[in-house]
Amino acid sequence: MKDTRRTRAVLGVLLLVSLAMITVDYRGGDHSPLRVLRGFGEAIFGPIEQGATAVVHPIAGAFHTFTGAPSAHRRITRLERENQQLRRQLRTGQLDKRRAGELESLLGSSGLGGYRIVPAEVISSGEGMENTVSLDVGSRSGVQPNMTVLSGDGLVGRVTRVGPTTSTVMLATDAASSVGGRLESSNEIGIVQGAGRHGGSSLKFQLLDSTVVMEPGQRIVSFGSEDDRPYVPGVPIGTITRIERTSGSLTRTAVVRPFVHFTSLDVVGVVVAAPKRNPRDSVLPPSPSPSTPTPTPTPSQPPPAQAGSSAPPKSRPAPSPTSRG
Amino acid sequence: MSRNVLASIVIVAALILQVTVVNRLPLPGSVVPDLVLLAVVALALVNGSLRGLVAGFCAGLAADIIPPADHTIGRYALVFCLIGYVCGSVAVEMDRAPLLPFVAVAAGALAGTVLYALVGAMLGDPRARWPVVSHVLPLQVFYDIVASPFVVWAVLRLTNRAERPRDSAGLDPVPGFYRAR
Repeated sequence: MKDTRRTRAVLGVLLLVSLAMITVDYRGGDHSPLRVLRGFGEAIFGPIEQGATAVVHPIAGAFHTFTGAPSAHRRITRLERENQQLRRQLRTGQLDKRRAGELESLLGSSGLGGYRIVPAEVISSGEGMENTVSLDVGSRSGVQPNMTVLSGDGLVGRVTRVGPTTSTVMLATDAASSVGGRLESSNEIGIVQGAGRHGGSSLKFQLLDSTVVMEPGQRIVSFGSEDDRPYVPGVPIGTITRIERTSGSLTRTAVVRPFVHFTSLDVVGVVVAAPKRNPRDSVLPPSPSPSTPTPTPTPSQPPPAQAGSSAPPKSRPAPSPTSRG
Repeated sequence: MSRNVLASIVIVAALILQVTVVNRLPLPGSVVPDLVLLAVVALALVNGSLRGLVAGFCAGLAADIIPPADHTIGRYALVFCLIGYVCGSVAVEMDRAPLLPFVAVAAGALAGTVLYALVGAMLGDPRARWPVVSHVLPLQVFYDIVASPFVVWAVLRLTNRAERPRDSAGLDPVPGFYRAR
């Protein structure tokens, strides 16, 4: 401790520098001069991260196996039970041809809805309260900011920044993310918001029309934004698990369990070209068979006063998901 | 190897490990230990306040620009710089209080999370709302304390190794931790 005056001077200078950086970067928004620094970071750390991921990937896999064991065990039991059921069905010849054909056409029409994607691997994940990841594809593979990222299960997020060989994705669970969503099989639209780290990996869905009734079990697909940036239409987002009733609120909020497992993201796809026409619900996985004991459906639940069902709106007014500001 | 080179190696290693491995661990509560913060605390405890605050600033700036980062540049630089300074200035007490590293890590984790969230709240960051912070805070401190022996040990070990050639003169009988300043 020889030189406290010098230490304090350095401390003061560095604190001022960081405050100045915060101010400049905040005021500049997306065009701040400090973005050059990020580009620099991408160029340097991107390749290192890719290398490091290649090394540690097997270790992470082992860890996942370890922590996933209890749930894997549950799944095995469930699958075994399912297996038995299927076998019985097969034996009694219940699986008729018509249903098989239906299923096939559903699967065929989905074909992931005709999105053109660039496959990518998650190489790192964000600090602190951010739900962001970086991918190992960048502008050299044709990725641009504000492209949709999805996995085999559904919506993952959108690309926020792109480097030459890496890109940063804001996940749909991030608290700063909001996606336009549409209730399955009705035209009702709303906004899907991330709950951040606090909410684990759940999402919130707010319907714009407060008179429409939502039910647990209904599913949500993305609504699509103008020019398909940042979100292309028709990507499955999740299933409503419960409805939150907040008194005095104008809109109703539902808690949504996403189709994507956000804690174990690995291979994802970046949509570089959207489908020619809106795939609507066709990409949703086939709904659980109606024979399963559903809690006595209230008389088929027609959405009240829904005249629009005959003529689905051609245009997508895009509740353009806000970027950070 | 000079101390500066060593400090930069420690910081870069901690950062890379943090974003590629630690952040992707599916730990309960979806909170993970912050290796970069631990590295800054350890470096400050070993090297004193001046080097501590410079190391904190550099580590914070690097954490601000490393790829998946998506916040205002300078937030971590500010926070880690302060933590490096404070931890460095209590390092003198090290010979009297053997538990000091843990206290420093706990205080650092607490102050780091709160300060970072405060700056975020001032900038209107939707991620830094109070329910999120109050959920993250205790878990963050706990995980950081659990992970701290490993990081502090690694930093001490590296420092010892780097300084061993000078040790061989046999002039300094005090073990590395206390001698380091």
